[in-house]
Amino acid sequence: MHRGITTTSIGTLMPTESGSGQGDDLALLGLLQLVSPALPIGAFAFSQGLESAFELGWVSDEASLGDWLEGVLADGLTRCELPVLARLYAAWAEGDEPALVAWDRWLAANRETAELVAEDSRLGASLARLLGSLGLAPDAPELPAEAGHVTVFAWAARVRGIAPRQALLGFAWAWLENQLAVACKALPLGHTAAQQLVERVRPALVHAVDEALSLGDDELGPALPGLALASALHETQYSRLFRS
Amino acid sequence: MTARLDLRAPCPDSGHRFDAGRRWVASLELGFAARRGATRMIRARHQGPLRVQRPFYPEGRDEACHVYLLHPPGGLVSGDALTIRARVEAGTRVLLTTPAANKLYRADSHGVAWRQHTELEVADGGVLEWLPQETIAFDGSWGEQATSIDLSGNARCLGWEVLALGRPASHLPYVSGRIEQRFALRRDGKPLWLERQPLDPRHPRFHGRWGQGGASVQATLWAVGLADGREAIEALREALPAGPRWAVTLRHGVLLLRYLGQERNAAWSLCEAAWRVLRPRLVGREAHPPRIWFT
Repeated sequence: MHRGITTTSIGTLMPTESGSGQGDDLALLGLLQLVSPALPIGAFAFSQGLESAFELGWVSDEASLGDWLEGVLADGLTRCELPVLARLYAAWAEGDEPALVAWDRWLAANRETAELVAEDSRLGASLARLLGSLGLAPDAPELPAEAGHVTVFAWAARVRGIAPRQALLGFAWAWLENQLAVACKALPLGHTAAQQLVERVRPALVHAVDEALSLGDDELGPALPGLALASALHETQYSRLFRS
Repeated sequence: MTARLDLRAPCPDSGHRFDAGRRWVASLELGFAARRGATRMIRARHQGPLRVQRPFYPEGRDEACHVYLLHPPGGLVSGDALTIRARVEAGTRVLLTTPAANKLYRADSHGVAWRQHTELEVADGGVLEWLPQETIAFDGSWGEQATSIDLSGNARCLGWEVLALGRPASHLPYVSGRIEQRFALRRDGKPLWLERQPLDPRHPRFHGRWGQGGASVQATLWAVGLADGREAIEALREALPAGPRWAVTLRHGVLLLRYLGQERNAAWSLCEAAWRVLRPRLVGREAHPPRIWFT
């Protein structure tokens, strides 16, 4: 699978924001901006199968939500979005267009259901549009056609001079916050309970990034059959707040 | 020693080794092409214990060519490496199935894995139905089952894999071992569906709801090349019994139906019922269940 794509340069960093100490500060602020729930790309509208897991009774309280989140983190993000984000970041850094296209497609082909495909492409398109309005769109190479969220996120992290490892941590953090916001709205989960779950899952985010950075290409691919089933069942769920 | 080898390995090129390097190779390569408007099997090369029966045409001479794949040992043991390749040329219609369940036996004391690779290629204008009977994994089985489907142009394909873990009738659940099931479907080289299912009963995902949810039977059915995928999905939801154990979706033009549960018969009936709904839409012919399924 994609034997031509190497990951040797994940560690390289060429900040495009100028200034040394100021560059780090700007990069940090750029990351906070990129992963903020206030970023107007509509991420709040998607639950990634979680709303369906509530409906099915699979997730019903703080404890079972914690298990679900740790499971999805370990068997989903760790083996899919995070390592591919690292590879896409490296591809942007090297201007490696074939690798960009290949990993963007790889991720799209791994999306299990119609709603997960739609979420990825809508978020990608929204973020690309936003970057365009800020004068931050890539010119060479350009974004792949219908680039997915992770591909555009990788470019945004790169153009803001965010180090790859921090980009992965930020992506995982944004996922966690968004899932907790879904639970607060739909379960419902109390806001303090949500913060207790942050405390529980926070170390796992670091572990997930460590592991994601250590995986070889042939070890990648999400293993979330329950989530896939839940997400497909969501297509016919009678009452729903979220688009995935 | 010789007797033992004779019992287990009818093919002359069987390995004599009993360590991790042992491999018993079997392969089957099939080719189908159109001859005067009818589908003909133009190639059937085999190595080791994999065979095909003479193709037949239960739907009529100019209709789909049905072929049964035979694996006389009936299952895979440690070190077995099976490769099945089928190439379906333009203008041909092929249905492949098996006469019995495929068994994945417990790994030997060295924990040597088996593997089974199926490589299906369908040319522009060809149709392939891949409808093997289910696979039963014995406790302690260790190996990899990979299916790749390469389509060109407007090739059409429908297939399934039904996998039952353990033998509930004998009270022998699947509690150890590791099986990885992989799928890759590409059209003109572009990946449309990639999936891997690592099945490890000792991993949290085996019982976790995000993962297997404790399911001992799973089925995956794909259909690609439908003229109207959305209409097909509506028809499936109408025809199949509703419930939380299966769902259908359409992404990148690939229809996927998944079952996670405990019932081999429920999984099989679901796939067969889905095939009855989809076949007229995909091939323009009613489903014609192979007689071997009922024997």
